[in-house]
Parts: sequence; structure tokens; C-alpha cells
Amino acid sequence: MIKVENLTKRYAGVTALNGVSFEVQRGEIVGFLGPNGAGKSTAMRILTGFIPASSGRVEVAGLDVFENSLEVRERVGYMPENNPLYTDMRVSEYLKFRAKLKGLPRPERTERIPEAMELCGIKDVSHRIIGHLSKGYRQRVGLADALLAEPDLLILDEPTIGLDPVQIRQVRQLIKDLGKRHTILLSTHILPEVEMTCDRVIIIHHGRILASDTPENLMRTLNAGGLIQVEVRGPGSEVQAKLRAVEGVESITAKVLEDGYVRVMLTPKSGTDPREEVYQTVAGNGWTLRELTRARTTLEDIFVQITREEDEAEEERRDQRRSVLR
Amino acid sequence: MTNVPTLLRRELNAYFASILGYVVLMFFLVVMGVTFGVVVRYLNSGPTQFTAMKILFKMFWVPSLFVAPAITMRLLAEEKRAGTLEMLMTAPVTDFEVVFAKYLGAVVLYTMMWALTGFYVLILRHFSGGATALDLGPIFSGYLGVVVIGQFFIAIGVLASSTTKNQIAAFLMSFAIAFLLLIVVNWLTFLFPSGPLGEVFHAVSAFDHMEDLQRGIVDVRPLVLYVSGTALALFITTRVVESRKWR
Repeated sequence: MIKVENLTKRYAGVTALNGVSFEVQRGEIVGFLGPNGAGKSTAMRILTGFIPASSGRVEVAGLDVFENSLEVRERVGYMPENNPLYTDMRVSEYLKFRAKLKGLPRPERTERIPEAMELCGIKDVSHRIIGHLSKGYRQRVGLADALLAEPDLLILDEPTIGLDPVQIRQVRQLIKDLGKRHTILLSTHILPEVEMTCDRVIIIHHGRILASDTPENLMRTLNAGGLIQVEVRGPGSEVQAKLRAVEGVESITAKVLEDGYVRVMLTPKSGTDPREEVYQTVAGNGWTLRELTRARTTLEDIFVQITREEDEAEEERRDQRRSVLR
Repeated sequence: MTNVPTLLRRELNAYFASILGYVVLMFFLVVMGVTFGVVVRYLNSGPTQFTAMKILFKMFWVPSLFVAPAITMRLLAEEKRAGTLEMLMTAPVTDFEVVFAKYLGAVVLYTMMWALTGFYVLILRHFSGGATALDLGPIFSGYLGVVVIGQFFIAIGVLASSTTKNQIAAFLMSFAIAFLLLIVVNWLTFLFPSGPLGEVFHAVSAFDHMEDLQRGIVDVRPLVLYVSGTALALFITTRVVESRKWR
């Protein structure tokens, strides 16, 4: 559905995107994840033909977005950042205007507009003026607009920004439902959002793609920090020695608690899960076990880790350059 | 150009969805109405060399100088400020369609305003004793003049609006350009009544053009000048809107 090769975008003095390549398959929900200013919106603007790339190739549905800009735009439903709408129009009036612009003929229009309004839950505000609506409703008007022409691809830039928790949940559910019929590329800097809605995550930072995988795979391959906490009643030094010897344990710290329990923090070797062996060791020695938990790695940890590694690498490169200059 | 009717309709609705359309309309009608009242009074005082509509057409510079910037300042500046341009330009429409529809919307509004002064013609006709006493030819050419000149300044206004996110800045820009091309050029025709420079100033002075048109003299040259000026302004505007692509 989307094929991006070596995409670079330079503004005066700033490189917003630096050699980005990725693909999105039909039917996928892909999340663009990155801190503010990472280049998410720039990438989306290029995909929708609002601005061109400095270099690189971008295809949507097999069409080049520069050469076949109008055809691409017909196939893409786009909700820009901050969801700009004509605030002086009524909801139904606005959707009619947009449907006409998107080239929907009248019979299709009369069918699609109520459908989109129904889907996004804005039927009851269809006669209200957009400027008088709450942010949540406006967001849904933007979504309804993006859906109008039943596009192959939906591009949503920060679809849940500025909404309250209830609205966020509603919009996420809506996106999930839409994912059954459309290919979706959405951007966010909120991690639970991608975890919940997306099949695949593309982490983007300083205009570069740092990782691209399913949320589960990312967590598996990068589960550094996935500590295992064990609380055992037993002789402190012996507990420590025996648990250190367990296969798959990288390192260990222990602390004797006041109530006679020993709290042990295990760092597993990457890719292993030694919880079973830990239990067996504890049970085999006749100690009492009251806790055995694995601190769940969240995308948040991964994100922080990856972006930090990248920043450190950047720093190192800069240092090297500096030393070369000296 | 298939999207122009849709865009045009939205533009016209937008004028009357905000207070701006009404304020400008009121301003125009007050200026024209007061002028007309004074003129009728003056004509009643005795025989003169003027006709009522001639004096009214002499007021053409007021709408060109104030109304054209006022109804165009919002057009692109506001879309840029609010970010709605992104939404508009990612729909399958061309940049020129958007620019042209905005220009056309302003021209329609402007023409509608002048059309309201048609009532004055009806009033004059009624009280001047029928069609014979009122020469309709110069009135038609006069209307042609105000529309052709007005639409040029509207195109200038659209151009000014495309260069900024700030409506006030857009207004002042197009006002300044209109002031130069209308008022300053008119002064220059007085400073240089003849000579090669004078000829140039007379050729481009809207007051001179209007003088001819309200007498019923339709010279094609000034009309071509305004229409090509409009084409140039709209062309540059489209480029400015597109400039987001190469900046």
C-alpha cells in the first residue's frame, strides 16, 4: 500500500527526514511513533502530497505521489495534525462540501455521508456549527471526513491528541474497527496507543527509523530491563548463591528484608525466561516463595532505550568528529 | 476546473457565515447611498453638466481601495493560519482551482454589491420621466468599468492574502498596492499632464479609464490591461501557494 524508499526532506537548515525507508502492506495498522519533532508529520505530509520530498521515492497504492498526486489524493483519507476544519460550517454541510471535493457523485454522497456520520458517532450533531463543537466531536468530524470517500489508505496524524480519556478510548476503538476495512497509518507519541491499536510500530527519531516491528517482537527482542523479582524466606547468602547459579541468570542483587525474607532481583540473559528454574531451585531447597514476578517491559521502556542509544551514538559521532578536527 | 463550483459555493457561504460580509456590504451601501442622496439633492438645485450615475461611478475608487482588500484579506491568510489549507490541498483539487475559486467568490460578492446600486438606476428612471431621459448606454459601460477595475484589485488582494498568515497584513498590503495604482498614479497624471511619462501614467490611470467608460466610450486597451493584470496576479498567487513545495 505504501512504499517509501530513501526518503529525505530538508527544510532550510533542518533535515526533517533522513533516508527513511519503509513499507506498509494492505490491511495493516501501522503506528508512527516518535517524540515531537521526530519527522512524523513531515512524512505524512509527503505521503499525502501536501509537500514534496527533497529526495527519495514514495508510492501509495502503486502510484508515485509526486507524479500522480491527484490520483493518490483520491485514494487517501487524511486527517492532518490538530485536525483543521472550517469552523464556520455545519457538520453535514462540511461533509457534503468535502464529499463533493473528493469527487463523490450525488447518489454515493447521500449514502456515504450518513454512513460516515453514523460510524463516527456524530449524527446527533450534524446540524451544529463545527466551531461550537467540543474537541472530541471535532476530532470525529475530521475522521468522518477522512473516511468519506472510502479511501484505501487512512493517514491520521495524532488522532487522539487533546482528547479526554473517554474520548481517547472511543477514538481508539473506532480506529481499530476501521482497521478491518482500511489500511491505516497513524502517528502518535503516546505509547499505549500503538500498543493497543497497531499491528506494527515504526519508531522514528531525529528523522531516522530506529526500529520497525510488531509491538510484541519489539518487547521480546529488546527486553533489557525486564527484571525478575523474587522474594524468598531463607538464609540470605545461600539464596543468593543458589539463584545466581540458575541457568539464564545474568546477574543478581539481593537484600535481606526485616521480616526475614530475602528480596532478589534477577537480570535474565537476553531472550531467556528463567522463572521456572528459579521456582524449582526455591522449592527444591524448601524455602518459602511469596513473590516471583517479571517487571513487564513496556514500549515506553523500549522507546526510551532506543532513542537514548541513538542519542548516545550521535553524541559519540560528534565527539569523534571533534577529536578529528583537533 | 471541475471543483471550482464546489469551492466557489463554500467561499460565498463563508462571506455570510461571518460578520465580515455584512460589515463590508453595509460600508459599501452607506457610502454609495449617502453619495446618491447628495447627488440627487445637488441635481435638484438646477441644471448641471453631470448625470447622477456619472457622479456615482466617480466613486468607483472607494470600493476598489477599501472593499477589495477587505473581502480578500481572509481568503488564503486564514486558511494558512488555521491549517485548513493542508486539508484543502490534500483533497484531489489543484492549487489553481483553489486560488481561482477564491478570486471568483470575491468578484461575485463585489459584483453583487454594485448590482444593488441598480436600484438607483430604477429610481432615477422612475423620476426622470422614463427611458428617454436616462441614457442607459453609459450606465452599462460604467458598470462594466467598475467590475473590470474592481476584479483586478480583488486579484491583487488574493495575491496579498497568499503571502501571509496575518489578515491585517494582507489587508494593508493590498491596500497599499491599490493606493499606489489608483491614487498615486492619479496624482502623477496631474504632475505630468503630457510628455512620454504623462502618457504612461494616463494609460494606466484607472480614473482616466473610468472617465471614458462612464461616458460610454469602451476602449478595449484598458480592459485588456486589467484582465492581463488579473491573470498575472492569479498566476503569481498560485505560485506562492505552491511555494510550500519548494521552500
